[in-house]
Amino acid sequence: MNYFLVDVLTPSRVLARNIPAESILVPTVRGQINILPEHTHIIAKLETGLLSIFGDADDSDRHFTVTTGICKVLGNRITILSNVSEEDLEINIERAERSLANAKEKLSLPSLSNDEFVKFTRKVERANLRIQIAQKYAAHGKSN
Amino acid sequence: MASVKDLKKKIKSTKGTLKITTAMKLVSAAKLAKAQHAIVSTRPYTEELDSTIRTVSALVQKYENVLLKESENTRAVLLVISSDRGLCGSYNSQLAKKVRAFITESKNLDLKVYFIGKKVRELVRKDAHEGKLYKFAKTEPSYNETTAVANEFATLFAGGEFGKVFVAYNVFKSAMNFIPTVKQVLPIALDKAFQEKLKTEIPFDFKYDPSPNEILDVLIPESYRSTVYTCVLDALAAEHGSRMSAMDSASKNCKTAIRSLTIEMNKLRQEDITTELIEVVSGAESLNA
Repeated sequence: MNYFLVDVLTPSRVLARNIPAESILVPTVRGQINILPEHTHIIAKLETGLLSIFGDADDSDRHFTVTTGICKVLGNRITILSNVSEEDLEINIERAERSLANAKEKLSLPSLSNDEFVKFTRKVERANLRIQIAQKYAAHGKSN
Repeated sequence: MASVKDLKKKIKSTKGTLKITTAMKLVSAAKLAKAQHAIVSTRPYTEELDSTIRTVSALVQKYENVLLKESENTRAVLLVISSDRGLCGSYNSQLAKKVRAFITESKNLDLKVYFIGKKVRELVRKDAHEGKLYKFAKTEPSYNETTAVANEFATLFAGGEFGKVFVAYNVFKSAMNFIPTVKQVLPIALDKAFQEKLKTEIPFDFKYDPSPNEILDVLIPESYRSTVYTCVLDALAAEHGSRMSAMDSASKNCKTAIRSLTIEMNKLRQEDITTELIEVVSGAESLNA
């Protein structure tokens, strides 16, 4: 069987270790890339987005949110290092909506420094992503 | 000479202390388990981060980052991570000793000392040029709070305010054992010999997206932040471990004290009874005579 192993790591916890996968979709700064087995060695910078890991028939697909970090492909092992990351199952949609509203409100304030602008824009990005993924998963869940 | 009543009081209060120390021991044990779990969950991330930085920086020629640059500046920061609460054995006093030794050693540096946790601050106050005391929402700083502190130093370092940043903390070894340490966190030192070795081990180069320099620009500050975070986690685990073993020995001492006090009390009571009996018997005898 041609597959590789994926690790998803964040500073505060290990989200996934050694998940077998046939292909994965990684959001990088230059767009989403698809990695298949026998891929060349690559280190890519991540962008806030959805990371999807597709397993074969026995292993279910898994989806994670990722923010800034890197993706490293070395041999048949892929390591995702991300600052903040969550699996779709554990996203709390109400909380995401609250934080989206909160961050948007902060962004509309006139007295915003550059740093704060970046911080809250990222927050909006993250919250949007969470909502999107949670909805997708909910729809998926219902169809089953 | 203590009376039976006095001894009873003493035993009662010792029993109270015993209850407290046992409870504290249990709490610390639970917290220690949590802290150890936190260390275990960060380790893969930091290890992977370190190895990637080493590989990339070994393969890339001419890379400069402000966090890697040695400077002539003699002003330096020492961040001391101690606890807010006492009753944890020699946790704080050993760290304070280490900090004092470090201050005397580095006379050539203009050292400013910052604190997380107020205990060591009280102990080294008169030896140190004092900076700020950081306080957190909970007693245990979260990842975001720690990185905020780390970022503050990184900005000062990058701005040329300080030439070096050190962290003093207790490295967690086991529940009984910790090692007070002072570690340099900025500028980040990359091991040159190790890099040369890596070059021979990895004959191929990675593909980079976007460029290796941009990737290092992300990784190096991240590695610095995670180093500081690991220091905090280590210190927390060491604190709970140290408190747990201190409370364990305190509970043992309480138990021995209670036992010897009880024996003493029983002897006294027996003595009192004997005296009373003798009085009664001799009283009865004198009536009969």
